[in-house]
Amino acid sequence: MFQPASLKGISPAPIDERIRNKFLVLYIVIIISSLIPTSLFEFWYITFFWSETYFWIFFIVLPFNIFLAIHLIQISAILISVLFLKIIILIHNPKEGNFKRSIEDRDYYFWTIRNIVKKWPLFVTASNPFPWLKNRFTLRFYGVKIGKKTICDNSWISSEFVSIGKNVIIGMNSTILSFAIEQDNFILKKIVVEDNVLIGAKCVLLPGTIIKRNAKLSAHSYTNHNHVLKEDSIYRGHPAKLKEKS
Amino acid sequence: MEVEEDSKFDMEVISTSGVYKTPFSMIILLQLFIGGLVLFIVNLWFINSLYYLLTGTEFYSFGLKAEWYYWLLLPLNIYGNIFLFVFVIIFFSGGIFRILNKISPPREGIFKRGSKEWKYMHRRFWTAYFPIWLARALPLPWLDIIAYRSFGTKVGKSVVLYEGYVDPLFVEIGDFTMTSLNICMFSHLIYQDKLFIKKIKVGNACVVGPHTIISPGTVMEDFAVLGVNSYTSINQRLKGNLIHVGTPVNITLPIQSVEESQQKAVKVKGSKTPDKITQNKEDLHFQEE
Repeated sequence: MFQPASLKGISPAPIDERIRNKFLVLYIVIIISSLIPTSLFEFWYITFFWSETYFWIFFIVLPFNIFLAIHLIQISAILISVLFLKIIILIHNPKEGNFKRSIEDRDYYFWTIRNIVKKWPLFVTASNPFPWLKNRFTLRFYGVKIGKKTICDNSWISSEFVSIGKNVIIGMNSTILSFAIEQDNFILKKIVVEDNVLIGAKCVLLPGTIIKRNAKLSAHSYTNHNHVLKEDSIYRGHPAKLKEKS
Repeated sequence: MEVEEDSKFDMEVISTSGVYKTPFSMIILLQLFIGGLVLFIVNLWFINSLYYLLTGTEFYSFGLKAEWYYWLLLPLNIYGNIFLFVFVIIFFSGGIFRILNKISPPREGIFKRGSKEWKYMHRRFWTAYFPIWLARALPLPWLDIIAYRSFGTKVGKSVVLYEGYVDPLFVEIGDFTMTSLNICMFSHLIYQDKLFIKKIKVGNACVVGPHTIISPGTVMEDFAVLGVNSYTSINQRLKGNLIHVGTPVNITLPIQSVEESQQKAVKVKGSKTPDKITQNKEDLHFQEE
């Protein structure tokens, strides 16, 4: 709620500088092909509504047209990127584990390609007036499981290897990272957040953390790699330690 | 009505702000429609004159004939329209906010899920969401203060607010207060199935450091400073003329000028190595000249 303009909460998708220029064509193709449905829609709109006698209908419906066009761009960008993602997953299936952070490593290479494909739709949907469309709607297309009645509108959630249960509240500016780069190593590991969990503002979850049911993580704290937070308990600190059992 | 004062409520754990999606959140569509309608009515004359210049006919004669220099006004028109759109939406939703306040006056306390306060809190926040989002997307940084004032929030003069999450209800900020990047000021808190609301009061000329959280019920006295990366626990009182640091705040430091701290540093160094004092003193004199 009431997020500042500079903190849109785009889900993190970093791209390696060494690989980026090779896939510039792919990036531009995704952008242009996601704009095609809107241009077709605008062409239909102008030819249908613009007539000599009823031109005023054109101007009255124009605000709705702009509103629809923005959403068409966003949804078509998501769908086209999902199509490209399926092709890339057929070539190389993503899996968890420790890898080397070099271009020769196939897992790291394809992880960056997936990020290039996701970059444009994530950027576009982040500037939508409806806050639930940013995370809850788009991330479900990329295979992130988000349960019903969860609040995660103003947080950075990575778009792979994350599953969030029902009735979870995730605070402002807290980040959920399923990837990590530690010196020369590149780590991908699944994060599991179970039902009724409460995560405070500005927390950081590192790859491999599992938060069990009804656990609570206090504000301004972060978890370690492969950290398991037990059921019905409160955690706090840097890194998070058990405070009390309720 | 549904106030439960005896219920168990862990005051130390700070959860998060944010509200659930409800059917009332579709009020964004109504706000967009009202903004678009006003834009259309205001721009009717201008569009008409441009249409006359293009085709030679007009769809309604206002009596004035268009001139060639109307084309020069087009960029100004577009830029003004953006501001008109935002201001119309801000004042329209400010009116809805006040009507909601009349229907059920806002109260402090602990409430259950599904109670009247819970419903109206969600409605108020959804009406305030879109205008603040719009005001912050514009290039002028003080526009969101106008938006907050239209919702009845007490914000003093020359306050910096534009880089934080601030609730529009039960927040009072004094004059010349400065808030930094990525701060959270929550007057409400959703804790599983309960809702906790309490007033935040920030005094005059306070400084709120970056990445801090101010939880419901905190009172910052005049000239207090909240340090970087710290948060206040519920119902905490921060005294004036001091620096407060900690998660949650437990350390207080005195505010001192740059000269005072430098003199202290010289004294501390002097006890160990006397040679370095003269060098330091020369540096100080050099800086002053």
